[in-house]
Amino acid sequence: MDLTPRTVTEPGAQPPARKRRWLPMLVVVGALLGGGVVVTKFLTSAIDYYCNVDEVGVRSGCSGERRMRVQGVVEQNSVKHADGGTTFTLDFNKKTLKVAYSGDPGGVFQECIPIIAHGRVVNGVFESDRIEVKHSNQYVQKNAKRIDQANKEAAACSVLKG
Amino acid sequence: MKHASFIFGSWGLTAVSVAVYAVWVIRRGRELAKHATREEMPWT
Amino acid sequence: MAGQSGTGTSATRRLGVLVILMLATLALCGLWFSAEDVVQGSTVRIMYVHVPSIWTAYIAFGLTALCSAVYLSGKNRSLAWDRVAGASGEIGVLFVAVSLVTGSMWGRLTWGTYWVWDARLTSTAFLFITYVGYLAVRQLGGTHRQRARRSSVLALLAILEIPLVHFSVTLWRSLHQEASVANPNAKVALDGLMLFSLFLGLIAFTMLFVWLVLHRQRAMMLEDAFSDRGLDVAIAARRNEAGA
Repeated sequence: MDLTPRTVTEPGAQPPARKRRWLPMLVVVGALLGGGVVVTKFLTSAIDYYCNVDEVGVRSGCSGERRMRVQGVVEQNSVKHADGGTTFTLDFNKKTLKVAYSGDPGGVFQECIPIIAHGRVVNGVFESDRIEVKHSNQYVQKNAKRIDQANKEAAACSVLKG
Repeated sequence: MKHASFIFGSWGLTAVSVAVYAVWVIRRGRELAKHATREEMPWT
Repeated sequence: MAGQSGTGTSATRRLGVLVILMLATLALCGLWFSAEDVVQGSTVRIMYVHVPSIWTAYIAFGLTALCSAVYLSGKNRSLAWDRVAGASGEIGVLFVAVSLVTGSMWGRLTWGTYWVWDARLTSTAFLFITYVGYLAVRQLGGTHRQRARRSSVLALLAILEIPLVHFSVTLWRSLHQEASVANPNAKVALDGLMLFSLFLGLIAFTMLFVWLVLHRQRAMMLEDAFSDRGLDVAIAARRNEAGA
């Protein structure tokens, strides 16, 4: 049998499509670029120091008027809405920090819930322009028969404070 | 139900995504099977 | 020709019916019978599709890696392993995408934002992109064995991201809550029917995954067979040509 390379090309005699595929190549390149963008976004977002309330003014990167993210639990009976803004106190590890937020926090923002506030400390008050509510990994069902409203709120508070 | 659009939206999106994929897989299998021999379909 | 029986068998049909029944039960439990959360209210109902979706993606990528390892180990170089790996990877991408979108919707209601470049969210997005790349690498061309070899190596590298995603909430300070069931403390933090609904979701989605993998890998087997058949036709034509 003659198996020398063929020189004449006939219609239908070519092996099936084993050609280079450009679309998958573009997707591979897109995935590499996308991965780079995602990692870059993560690293640049980490530029704002992530501080707990008790670290503000103590830990390196959490002092001065530099922009940072502060994590703590919204103190009970501290939330006040006035002039389109919201003020409240954040607790963490027996330390507190006054927060002034320019707006109405979204999500499930409420007293006794852990949050992350983005902003900077100005004259002892944390002036925040972004709030993210950090809900617990514990899920407790509402049950009117089991607990009355007051107990429910207390239970929620204790659950959230861990 | 509060936030019903988000809740039903997330369930609906999940259901539609999975259903569309499942239908595509089944139809692709049927289309290919029309031209396949028994030897190429050992599960039959 | 085998006719139009497709990729189904009586076993997959029975499994399919069971999956539909379980998903219907999940919808009833998750959207109707289970209680609202004391903090999140009805928003918690998104969890019953969000968590099973990422769980299924983990299983899918795990299976992709396992089959790839078996293929590369050399003990059994059957392309069936590669096809199961490919089918599983494809389904994993679907579920991780669903998880990202449902998680984003849940985040809007609870955190107050659709997206934040937080460790868990970022690592999950990276996982998604990696496996989209894996699927693209499978389509780059060449022989089936070339495809199997290069995609198996990639699958074994990509699986290393799973522990990073899962433990990102403990490794970094994260907005995302820690695991409620699969946590290091082994402490289950869900009440009654909420826990049942979540487990039902995990089981139903896992069975759905098995059903999808069975069908998809069979379709892939036919795709490979047709591709080979095309090659066989070309070789036969060449032999005839040489014989003549």
